[in-house]
Amino acid sequence: MASKTKTFTRALFAATAIHLFAAPAVLAGEVTVWFWDTKFNGAAMQEAANRYKAVAPDTTITLVDLAKADLETKLQTQFASGVTDGLPDIVLIDDLRAQLYLQSFTGSFEPLNGAIDHSQFAPYKVAVATVGENIYSLPFDSGVAGFYYRSDILAEAGYAAADMTDITWDRFIEIGIDVKAKTGHPLLSIDMANAAPFRMMLQSAGSWYFTPEGELNLVGNAAFKKAIETYSKMLQAGDTLWKPVSGWAEYTGAFTGGEVAAVPMTGVWITGTVKSAADQAGKWAVAPVPRLDIEGSVNATNHGGSSWYVLSSSAEKTEAIDFLAQVWAKDADFYQKILVDQGAFATFLPAREGAAYSSADDFFGGQTVWKDFSTWVQQIRPVNYGIFAGEVDAAILAQLPAMAAGENVDTIIENIAAQAKSAMQ
Amino acid sequence: MSPVSRILRSATYLGLGLAALISVFPFYWMLVSMTNSAVEVANGKLTFGDQLIANFQSLLTEVDMVRVLFNSTVITLFGTILTVALSSAAGYGFEIFRSRFKDHLFSLLLLMLSIPFGAMMIPLFVMFAKAGLLNSFAAILLPGIASIFIVFYFRQATKAFPHELRDAARIDGLNELQIFLRIYLPVMRSTYAAATVIVFMANWNAYLWPLIVLQTNDMKTITLVVSSLVSAYNPNYGVVSVAAVIATLPTCLVFFILQRSFVEGLTGGVK
Repeated sequence: MASKTKTFTRALFAATAIHLFAAPAVLAGEVTVWFWDTKFNGAAMQEAANRYKAVAPDTTITLVDLAKADLETKLQTQFASGVTDGLPDIVLIDDLRAQLYLQSFTGSFEPLNGAIDHSQFAPYKVAVATVGENIYSLPFDSGVAGFYYRSDILAEAGYAAADMTDITWDRFIEIGIDVKAKTGHPLLSIDMANAAPFRMMLQSAGSWYFTPEGELNLVGNAAFKKAIETYSKMLQAGDTLWKPVSGWAEYTGAFTGGEVAAVPMTGVWITGTVKSAADQAGKWAVAPVPRLDIEGSVNATNHGGSSWYVLSSSAEKTEAIDFLAQVWAKDADFYQKILVDQGAFATFLPAREGAAYSSADDFFGGQTVWKDFSTWVQQIRPVNYGIFAGEVDAAILAQLPAMAAGENVDTIIENIAAQAKSAMQ
Repeated sequence: MSPVSRILRSATYLGLGLAALISVFPFYWMLVSMTNSAVEVANGKLTFGDQLIANFQSLLTEVDMVRVLFNSTVITLFGTILTVALSSAAGYGFEIFRSRFKDHLFSLLLLMLSIPFGAMMIPLFVMFAKAGLLNSFAAILLPGIASIFIVFYFRQATKAFPHELRDAARIDGLNELQIFLRIYLPVMRSTYAAATVIVFMANWNAYLWPLIVLQTNDMKTITLVVSSLVSAYNPNYGVVSVAAVIATLPTCLVFFILQRSFVEGLTGGVK
């Protein structure tokens, strides 16, 4: 025992001595990738790396898994410090924050226009990574929205799939109140600290917080006003319509636990979570997301999604771009594989023709959900998310109590605009 | 005991019991969640389940726990030893030795406590990058070993250290280093125990700085691993809880071992 302890202590000291002052050397031809979520983004990237081995056996793809917020902290610290040592060659960035990085850290990312044919990807997804003439991303997973609902509970209240298709949010509220009254199940959960549902409503009308030139576009924006009115109406319905939740665990627990009968405002990436409640197999269906009752609004929008970016500081830039071009922008079969294995619904349009994208899913009562999402993804209205979406989100969240209390909509919009304006200065 | 004081006492115990329950509940929930599936945790199940082994296996599949624990252990062990050694010597020095400038210098040091780490992070990062120390244990250890708070803590505790002992030791022929090692150190063991617990916890739970300077998978610490597990789109809360328990146990263990001395140390005990 004593000798074991001694051996361990020696090993500890020896290993420490090695690591204490020595930064591990980077291998030649090694492309490092930073991402979050090992099982989703990491697994998809690993599959891509495996396929790239056949094309370029000498290049190693090294995956570094970080929490999303951690990745952003690291990236911002390094950009701000001007130190490029240790930065990855490829990094995953959330679509909503893409413009923030591209415009705040000009020159830090490599334009990919020349190497990637972006016409092969969903246009809305390309728009989020475009600055002037340059397109910086390899568009990855889509946040195409779906209205996930419990078909068994809706049927109990007298609603069929056709009743849920291509509806407005006003109609959704009517149905929701009726379903709650008849079955006791709310059709919606609302987290008062999450502005995503509101953003989705706005994008369904092709509108955004900012003009394409980046100016605040709240006061006098008809779609924004309609979204505020609709969301206020929803909030005012209170417990006749929705269940209040706080945080991600409670949000997902509300529908996986069977209490809330739908997830109407979410992205396709929620599929894995919905399916984690195996006891509810065959009891779910997906409809197009409701639209705003306003001219130009469509039954399609986006929530989340991210893309791959190559850093200008990368020593392995050529390999990194080639890797993305050879697999991510070319291999439709790769997208079938990651759809089946990870539920990663990508925006590479040729992938839609593959078998996986047209397969029926028994969990959703045999519905060809991926095919439906493929249709909806093309209808998403492109908007420029800008660099201050977070500031406007915060201003909207601050007004949710006023919206729930039924205060004057114009005053609410003016207050949101005032707070957002001061936060953006 | 009068009925009124009996009622008051009962109410006090009830209040304290309730407060204790609220404090312990998150820990209980973490232990319970460790034994349940992700869906059960999300649904708020509060009783023990049978998923402990499955969760543990998932964690071992996803994370190189041996490597991660090794990193955390090395950082914490060396960080604690170096910080306590250096800062106690500094605190002792500040209190015992006379100098015209020491109080000014000490005030300056205390003033530095008010600078938030966020403000120093980028300059520190640039310094370590220039020194070629990024992604090494040294980068984690060096900024923390001269802890102003621990120096302050030792200086305050040293005020209670009997000067007669030092004088007697001098008469017996001990030099300053010998007095520090043979007299001061054993007498101040409660203070050392309290400082050890504080520094150990700070090192083990260190998050932001390791996140910034560590760059490869093989250098990750337990706090970074827990953070990345939670960040998944569909987090497996059962697995996260297993990792959280593993991350919490060493600090609990150290605290329980040194608990008595810790309390004595904080209340200024000198033996």
